[in-house]
Amino acid sequence: MQQQRVLFLVEGAIFAAIALLLDILPFLSIKLWFQGGSISFAMIPVILMAFRWGVSGGMITGLLFGFFQFFTGAFIVHPVQAFLDYVVAFAIIGVAGVVSSQLKASAKNNNVKFVLVYVIIGTFIGSALRFLTHFGAGMIFFGYLAEGQPVWIYSLLYNGGYMLPSFIASAVVISLLMSRRHKLLLRL
Amino acid sequence: MNNSMIIGQYVPGTSLIHRLDPRTKILVIFFFVIIVFFANSVWSYSILTAFAIGTALATRVPLSFIVKGLKPVWFLIVFTFLLHLFVSRQGDILFSVLGFPFYEESLIQGGTLSLRFFLLILFTSLLTLTTSPIEITDAIEYLLHPLKKLRFPVHELALMMSISLRFIPTLMQEAEKISKAQASRGVDFRTGSLKDRVSAVIPLLIPLFVSAFKRAEELAMAMEARGYQGGEGRTKIRALLFRKKDYIVFFLFCLIMAATIGTRV
Repeated sequence: MQQQRVLFLVEGAIFAAIALLLDILPFLSIKLWFQGGSISFAMIPVILMAFRWGVSGGMITGLLFGFFQFFTGAFIVHPVQAFLDYVVAFAIIGVAGVVSSQLKASAKNNNVKFVLVYVIIGTFIGSALRFLTHFGAGMIFFGYLAEGQPVWIYSLLYNGGYMLPSFIASAVVISLLMSRRHKLLLRL
Repeated sequence: MNNSMIIGQYVPGTSLIHRLDPRTKILVIFFFVIIVFFANSVWSYSILTAFAIGTALATRVPLSFIVKGLKPVWFLIVFTFLLHLFVSRQGDILFSVLGFPFYEESLIQGGTLSLRFFLLILFTSLLTLTTSPIEITDAIEYLLHPLKKLRFPVHELALMMSISLRFIPTLMQEAEKISKAQASRGVDFRTGSLKDRVSAVIPLLIPLFVSAFKRAEELAMAMEARGYQGGEGRTKIRALLFRKKDYIVFFLFCLIMAATIGTRV
C-alpha cells in the first residue's frame, strides 16, 4: 500500500511537469486568436492521471500544474480571481476521474466502445468544470475593464474561445491513446 | 542535468529583493493585492505607485524583462482607459478635442482603473521575476502549514512540486529527442491541417508517457529503498530563515499600508 502511495505522488509530479511541457513546447502550440489563446494539450496529462488514479490523482496533478501556470506569468487583478484562475480551475479538471472505475472496468473487458464513451464523458466533465471556473474568474477580470458592460459575454467568448477547441483536441488525443494503449495508461 | 534552465520568468540576481525570504515576498504581495482595493485618493494611489515602482527598481531586473512580463496586458490597460473615456460619460466636460468632449469623471475613473490594473500586475510579477520556483515551493509549503490540520496534504504537495521542477528539464530534453526521432520517421508537427497536427501528437505522447511511467516507478522504488515515510520528522536541506532585512521590509510595508489607509478619503 505504501508503495502505491509513493508511486502516486511521483507519477502526479512527473505528469504535472509533462502538462507544463505540452503547454510551452513551441512546436505543439496551435495559435488560434489574436488574443493569444491557443489550443493546448496540457489537460491531457492531468486527465490521464484522473483516469489512472481517480479524482484525487487528477486534482493534485492539476493543482501542481496550476502553480506552474502561476510561475510562467500570472495575471492577478483580484484575490478571488487569482484563486479561481490558478488554484481551482486546474485542480477541478481532476474531477474527470469520477469515471475512473467504470473506465477501468470497460478497459479490462476490452470493450473499446465503452472505453471511448467514458473517456469523452470524463474529459467533458473536467473541461466543463475548468471552463466554468475560468468563466467566473473572467467575470471578475473583465468586471474591472468595463463596469456596467455585459462582462459575461466577454468572459464567455474569451474563455470559450480556447476551452472548446482544447476540449475537442484533448478528447480526440486521449481517445486515440486509450484505444491503442489502455492497459499501459490505466495501470491495469 | 541542465540546472540553468529557467522555467517561467525568474531572472537570477543578487539584489535585496532577490535575497529576501520568499515567505516575506509572498506575504507582502498578498497584502499589497488587498490594499490596492482600499486606495481611493490621489495620495493613496501615489504612495502605492511609488512603492511598486521603487520595489521594481530595487530588484535591478533589467527593465526590458519587466516590460516583457507586462506586454500581454498593455493592451488591456490601454483598452480599459479608452473604454471609460469614450463609453461612460459622467461629470463635467473637461475639454474637447476636434469636437469630441472629454468628461472629467470618466477620465478619472478610466485612469484609476488602469492604474490599479497596472499596479497589481507589475507587483505580482515581481515575485516570479525575483524568486526561483524552488524557493516559492518552500515558502508555499511553510505558509500552507496551517492547512495540515484540515488534512490538506501540504507536505506531499511541496514534495511533488520539487520533483516536478527537477524533472521539467529532463522531460524537456526527452520530448525534444522523441520529436526529432519521430520527425526523422516522417511525422510533421509544425504544418498541416488541424486534424493532422492533433494526430501528430500521438507518436510523441506515447513514448513520452511510457518513459515517464518508467521514471516514476524507478524514483518511487528509490524513495522506498531510502526509507521515505512522508512528512513527519523530515528535515530540510534548504531551511528558510527570516533575517533582519525581512523584518525591516515587513515594518516598511506596514507603514505603507498604514499610510494608504490613512490617506483614503
